Amino acid sequence: MRGGVFKNASSLFSSYLNVRRKYMKIKQKNLAPYLLLLPALALLLVFRIYPMISTVIESFYTNNLTADAREFVGFANFTRVLSDQIFWKSLKVTFVFNLINIPIQVFLALVVAVILNSRARGISLFRSIVMIPIAVSPVVSTTLWKTMMDYNAGVLNGLLALVGIPRQEFFLVKEQALWSIVIVTAWKGIPYMMIFFLAGLQEIPVAVLEAAKIDGASSWQSFFKITLPLLKRVFAFVLVTDTILNLILFAPIWLITKGGPQLSTNLIMYETYRRGMVYGDLGGSSAMLIVVILIVAIVLGLQFLALRTDD
Amino acid sequence: MAFSKNKDLESDQTKYKSLRNKKFFGLVLNRTVVYVILMFLAVITLLPLMWAVAASFTPLNKVFEYTYPFQFKALLPNDFTWEAYQNLFDRGMGNAIKNSLILAFSSVFFGGIISALAGFAFGSFDFKGKNFIFAIVVITFMIPTDIIAIPSYMLVRRLGWLNSYTGLIVPSLAHGMAIFLFTQFFKGFPKELLEAARVDGASWFRIFLSIVLPNSKPVILSASLLLFVGQWGSFFWPLLVAPTPKMQVVQMAVATAQGEYRTLWNELMAGALIAAIIPILIIMPFQRYYIEGISGTGVKG
Repeated sequence: MRGGVFKNASSLFSSYLNVRRKYMKIKQKNLAPYLLLLPALALLLVFRIYPMISTVIESFYTNNLTADAREFVGFANFTRVLSDQIFWKSLKVTFVFNLINIPIQVFLALVVAVILNSRARGISLFRSIVMIPIAVSPVVSTTLWKTMMDYNAGVLNGLLALVGIPRQEFFLVKEQALWSIVIVTAWKGIPYMMIFFLAGLQEIPVAVLEAAKIDGASSWQSFFKITLPLLKRVFAFVLVTDTILNLILFAPIWLITKGGPQLSTNLIMYETYRRGMVYGDLGGSSAMLIVVILIVAIVLGLQFLALRTDD
Repeated sequence: MAFSKNKDLESDQTKYKSLRNKKFFGLVLNRTVVYVILMFLAVITLLPLMWAVAASFTPLNKVFEYTYPFQFKALLPNDFTWEAYQNLFDRGMGNAIKNSLILAFSSVFFGGIISALAGFAFGSFDFKGKNFIFAIVVITFMIPTDIIAIPSYMLVRRLGWLNSYTGLIVPSLAHGMAIFLFTQFFKGFPKELLEAARVDGASWFRIFLSIVLPNSKPVILSASLLLFVGQWGSFFWPLLVAPTPKMQVVQMAVATAQGEYRTLWNELMAGALIAAIIPILIIMPFQRYYIEGISGTGVKG
């Protein structure tokens, strides 16, 4: 294989064997990771990457779920979607919802994490209780809170009655519906985000906090001067995760309000679903999804810039 | 000189004493505040579940007897009955549980193996194109599956997998989050162990089975729990690809029980509890691994 002068056939043969063995070994070593990756990669390409590309392609075609007639229409889907009042209204609702919900969830998640990180007696029992909703599915948590907040019979109105507050309409009026969705998502969302903060808090070496204490720092000081800066990375991760989860929120809208009343809870994921699956306008739905993905990308980019860690 | 030193010491002592007093009261106060908040959190978390338990064992016409204004009796079964559960199982809840369990366990088993193999490749090998391929995994992990649900549905329809276990399971088998977890774990796996086995002439497949897997219990548990809970809770995908009653999963059974005009509250709560209790029971003994699985995708990432 390689240029070399061999004195006799046997040495030629043995060196051939050596080269072959070496070659085989290298080849096998190189092939192994690809073989290990093959099943996962094949599945990801077919069921994740292909549909992503397909979304981009579909956004340039007319299509609906039943008819097979499809036609290239250029940017027509985008112009149709972008000139649609309902789409803009939906974007606005999504924007408002996220602006309310993300800061609330992230802040409360941090507070709860700090409390659950304290070394009070029986803390592990409380930790287990607070984390229960994480294991509960979105459908179930939504169902539970839909019932809790029922106008006529809900427990929440029953509790309000105890302190003399009249029945609230929650999901039934456009002034309250979006706020009610905030309450519904809090039960599962806050503990979920809390887990990351709690893990981050537990990674902070106790010695650092003890040292600060000996140096006379109050607990507030050490929290703001030591704990918070050390949580910056976790904070960034939580913000990104919570943003993604909230931008694509679907279950509560689908199960409770169907976007109403008067489109006041018509979040963007529900609008794409309605357009695509209810009205059969797949092209428009795909165009909308592209817009959503762009928004997600822009928001994440801004958050990365804002929270860029210096190290 | 000595005098002033003494005085300093004295003042230090009184300062220390007052500091200790302050600290003592601060501590008691802090502790009380902490417990009040903890109780509040526990009540908020448990209240909907406790009410649901009570309602699920109550006849429909008595479900709301004590909720307005709220009385503590509302948290206990009123006129105890199994009626709601019986009705649910008469209308196919058993079949839905069976479907959901089959889906969740196959997702754990096949999805776990596929993700572990991929994680092993990323964590223990250096190869050409590694970063590029890993980037693909990260992208699929970042972009939520709901966003591509409709084109995925079209694909599964073309494959003829509608209303089948295949269509429900296969698309989510390669799981970005699980691959990520395994990768992180195998990065820390001792290379010497692998090299030694390699020198002894073991194939990579054998090494994976007899050395890697037995030493990866924590990450296997974490990933399995994540896969189980994820598959058990999924509803959007089953709603799209398997709408027939025979293929109904638990989440869909709960979702469709909420009628437009009339809701059977006791049955709805019974269904929600069944859907909630199974993952909770499975996680409970392994809670630490489940939490580590979730936080492992973030903090160490």
